[in-house]
Formats: sequence, structure tokens, C-alpha cells
Amino acid sequence: MGYLEEMAKYQKTEKQKIFGADFLEREQIDDYEFWDEIEIGKETVVPLKFEVKAEDMMAYAEGVPDDNPVFYDEEYARKCGHDGLVAHPLFGTQVAFFLLRKGHGSWIRTPGARNPGQILEWYDPIRVGDVLTVKLTGYDKWVKRGKYYMRYLTETYDQNGTLKGRGYATLILPKSREDVLKFVKGEHALEA
Amino acid sequence: MMADRLTFESVNCGDMLPEVKQHNTQELTWQHAVASLDYNPVHTNPEWCKTAQVFGLPVTVMHGNQTMSLMATVITNWAYPVGGRLKRMEVKLIKPVPIGSICTYGAVVTEKHPIGKGKDFVALDLWAMDEGGENVAVGTAQVTLP
Repeated sequence: MGYLEEMAKYQKTEKQKIFGADFLEREQIDDYEFWDEIEIGKETVVPLKFEVKAEDMMAYAEGVPDDNPVFYDEEYARKCGHDGLVAHPLFGTQVAFFLLRKGHGSWIRTPGARNPGQILEWYDPIRVGDVLTVKLTGYDKWVKRGKYYMRYLTETYDQNGTLKGRGYATLILPKSREDVLKFVKGEHALEA
Repeated sequence: MMADRLTFESVNCGDMLPEVKQHNTQELTWQHAVASLDYNPVHTNPEWCKTAQVFGLPVTVMHGNQTMSLMATVITNWAYPVGGRLKRMEVKLIKPVPIGSICTYGAVVTEKHPIGKGKDFVALDLWAMDEGGENVAVGTAQVTLP
């Protein structure tokens, strides 16, 4: 069984079933933005929205895996002092990958990308029924020891315009479209 | 020694949180890929990794956000059953974690911030350590406590 079939066994939620799992599919690369094209300071509000369902939140916790009942049992979560079912703190990862598929922000999907660290801030809990949008800002990019870094700011808002959280993520990326295409073919394409 | 009922008042600097230990497998990382929708082949496709070697390794590695999720789980296990909340987390991912690694995730309270009821928070140091005793990630967090 191939790796895509292996993963298909775990796809349960509506979003998991419709989301494309093959990040090596050649055609999607045409819609990506590459390190040498990233415009620092540019702000983008991603046009897609993420309607939060309980199954989405629970699926993230299951995939950690984290069996804390605050993530699965709304009544228990309320007894603990929360105002409803709780999203795992890193649930925003699922939101980001669901929304950032093209153009500005597609860096997170890039074959060959590396993640050296992040800063995450939470301001308001994500709740079932929230409709989330993401605003992205290219924050900085630099070259260090032959590696191509970038940092971007992600701000997540709900349907009322409430800021739910903010993340500063750093990535080390292949420099150009040509380098990404080498990775798509399974060739190593990093300078360092 | 921590009190039975965790509160801001009951916590002391130097308190160690119960650790989380995980033997990561390809199946667990596939499950994480599905949960996070991060299907990057460096985590999911062992054949591709043999030649692409993104980290200079011919094997798949855990997601950085999988490591961060488990670091966060140390906190949620501790604070969320009493209504605590993570408010900030900063993590440096130091080295890739090959599939098959056994990692331990831990945290220690380093600061108390008595800001006011509902806003009181503690700061913690976080780490993720592999079976060889090397940190694969380190970080800090801020957690509000009732």
C-alpha cells in the first residue's frame, strides 16, 4: 500500500476527505509563491474561510495524539471552567493548511520547506461554529549560511472580527521555482 | 510539591510538570498529517525522502508542529482541567526528529505574574528531548491560571 493510501485510512472529517493529500502533484506548484518572489510587507486576507466543526477540533487532538477530555467532551470542558469544547492549542495548524493553498502563504506547503521555530499567541478561544479568516503579512526574509529564510505573520479572525490568535512563523525554503521543482521530482535542492 | 488543586496561588517557581513520552512511528506521523492537513512529503513519503533528503537524512521526520503540539500537551494536561489557558508559546526547533525516535516532552515553571484575577499567568520553560538526551526543541510559554 502506498503512503497516500495509508493516510487515507485516517481521513474522517468532511474537510479531510476533500483536501488534496498529494503535495507532489506537479500542477499545484504553478499557483505557489517562491522565496525569491515573496514581497515583504504585503498583506493578504485569504479568500477562503474555515467553518469550525467539532469534528475538526477533535480530529486535531486525536492526531497529536492527546486524549484530554476537554478536547472531546463539551460538558466536561464546561465543568473545567471553559466556555465550551476546547480546541488543542496547535489546532491553528489545520486551519492554516486548509486555507493557504495558493499564492501568498503557499510556502507552508512547499516540498523542501523546513520549520525552525514559531511564536504563537492566543487571544480568544476558537469555538465550534466560528468562521475563521486569516490575514497574512510577509514580515522578513534573509539569507544566512546559504539558507533562504522567511518570517511571516498570521492573524486569525472570527466572523465578528475578533482576533483569535497571532503567529510568527519562520521557514527555510528552497530559493526558487526551479529548486521546488527539483524537490517535486525527489532531487535534493538546498544549498545548505 | 504541587497542591492537589492547581491554582495560580498553588504554583511555585521550579514546579516540574508531568512529562509526556512518545515513541513516534510513521503511523503516528501519518495520523498527524491527516489531522493537520500538512502532507509535506518530508513527513509522509519515505521513498521520496531517500533521495530528496531535505534535512540531509534519507528518512521521514516528524512535523515541527507535531513536536510543538506535544510540547503544548504537557501544558494542556496540567492546566486545562482547571480552566487554565495557553496565552503564548515560543519554540525553537533545534534538530529534525527521525521517525522511530522516542522523545520526552517537559516543562518547568520559571515565573509567576500576579496581574489580577483572571489575568494571572505563569511562565514556563519547555523542552523536547530525544532518547539520546539531546534537546530537539526548546521554548517558553505563558499560561493563565485561575
